[in-house]
Amino acid sequence: MSTLAVELDPQRRHAFGLLVGTEIKLALRRPVGLVVALGIPFALLVIFGSIPATTRPTAALGGISFFTLYVPTLLVFVLIAVGLGTLPQTLATYRQQGVLRRMSTTPVPPSWLLAAQMTINVILAAMSITIIIGLGALAYGLGLPTTVGGWLVTLLSLVLTVVATLGLGLCAAALASSPQVAGAIQALLFYPLAFLSGLYVPLQEIHSTALNDIAKVVPTGAGFNALHASFLGHSPGVEPLLVLAGWAIMTSVAAARMFRWE
Amino acid sequence: MLRQAEETNSVSCSANGTKPVIAVEHLYKAYGPTVAVQDVSFTVNAGEIFGILGRNGAGKTTTVECVTGLRRPDRGTISVLGLDPRHERRELHERVGVQLQQSALQDRIRVAEAVELYASFYRRPADGRELLATLGLERARDQQFAKLSGGQKQRLSIVLALIGRPEIAVLDELTTGLDPEARRETWALIEGVRDRGVTIVLVSHYMEEAERLCDRVAVIDHGKVIALDHPAALGDRARTGKRVRLTVPEGFDENLLGALPEVSGVERHGHDLVVIGSGDLLTAVVLAVDRAGLRAQDVRPETANLEDAFLALIDETTSETEIKR
Repeated sequence: MSTLAVELDPQRRHAFGLLVGTEIKLALRRPVGLVVALGIPFALLVIFGSIPATTRPTAALGGISFFTLYVPTLLVFVLIAVGLGTLPQTLATYRQQGVLRRMSTTPVPPSWLLAAQMTINVILAAMSITIIIGLGALAYGLGLPTTVGGWLVTLLSLVLTVVATLGLGLCAAALASSPQVAGAIQALLFYPLAFLSGLYVPLQEIHSTALNDIAKVVPTGAGFNALHASFLGHSPGVEPLLVLAGWAIMTSVAAARMFRWE
Repeated sequence: MLRQAEETNSVSCSANGTKPVIAVEHLYKAYGPTVAVQDVSFTVNAGEIFGILGRNGAGKTTTVECVTGLRRPDRGTISVLGLDPRHERRELHERVGVQLQQSALQDRIRVAEAVELYASFYRRPADGRELLATLGLERARDQQFAKLSGGQKQRLSIVLALIGRPEIAVLDELTTGLDPEARRETWALIEGVRDRGVTIVLVSHYMEEAERLCDRVAVIDHGKVIALDHPAALGDRARTGKRVRLTVPEGFDENLLGALPEVSGVERHGHDLVVIGSGDLLTAVVLAVDRAGLRAQDVRPETANLEDAFLALIDETTSETEIKR
């Protein structure tokens, strides 16, 4: 992505805007990705939020409610669903069908399509995150950070998790020769990563040091730890943030090196 | 203003315009151990329809990919409108419209959306509505790409190749997979594009297409240009030799014919022989067979077209090499 949107002249800006707009229209015509990114977390939020037991503080969870513990997991879930699912699927399809090749013969490089796809996936993730946090706080009494610093740490944790998971998705897109392969990579990575973010069982309940050590170094586990701490108003410490930053840089560099346009 | 002048000139001097807009010299490109293009040189003049012909895998697509800046040649020089495709890609793509094989649009994008989107990529785009009308796609405006017919997709790809008002349009295997009627319609469209003053590079493996459309043709085989001429001249090359086809009995020694002064070559096609030569070839062949005490059957002279010229040229250059289809 040698061309940055900020340094574009008006014609190029218009072109990029139109490209993003077109990709949004296309995404709406094939709403599977939207259902996964918006519908599933929304449903899980409503289900768990409506069970009285989950919103009550529990001694076994260190005096917090299951719901409070689960919201960061849902946020991470949204990000890997988007990053590992819709993004590589779409890019692998575009490459296989020759959409990227078609664009490479115009004054606009095909990397713009990649940038447009990342833009709409970030928008999608942001919408989903807003819904989860907003609805969680308004309807189900989710505790939110109370200080500006707390919000900043939350935001930083979110941004780093977004970049790390999208970077992982770009690596998958770079390696996948076809949408089928992209699907296989997704399946292979998704479940372990989702597990390590506590999607199935909160990791705290498993009481395995080994598992928790692994979780600390994978992007989903680190994302969970950072978000969980900042939601409780604690400092997550530098460790999870460094892990996320490391993943973000590593995956971006690897994707940039491996990505093939055809 | 300059464009206007070119447009009016293009009709009168299209075939013999002297200004080269593309110059390729000693192009070489290999993918690992496979040499795709070994030695290709040609120039394309403003306003002409230039054909690049060859069978599948001959190196045509790699050649145009290098010319349009999509691939870096290993060796050789390329100049397109005075630009270097390696380093001035964006400027090149502003001025050269390209339609490539194995390229497509997003499945669910509508025709009108695609045209608007691609128009936005260029500094001074053409009127998309008008282009769609010219190419008969008005009614398909709201159709999604995946639902278009093969012919409609090809016409849309011509629209997109022209949407930036290019000076050169590169059209790769435009009519492959189309039925004969759609192919003829596409030919008429290409001529229409040329009449707008656009220089056209047409990649094809259909001789008929080149014969009908092209001002000049480069025949590429095994990564080399083996002939470069007007289509009619290529046909003449094959016609200079007369050809006689005949069926001979088993065991006939074709060297008997090869020894005749009128004969320059003999090809065997199953039970048939094709004798190439000059002078009173037909009589000489019949008499020679008669002298051998045999009777030649189905003796008939053959006329050559570009297809024959093409095959003859390829045979000349690859006589020893096994030809892979």
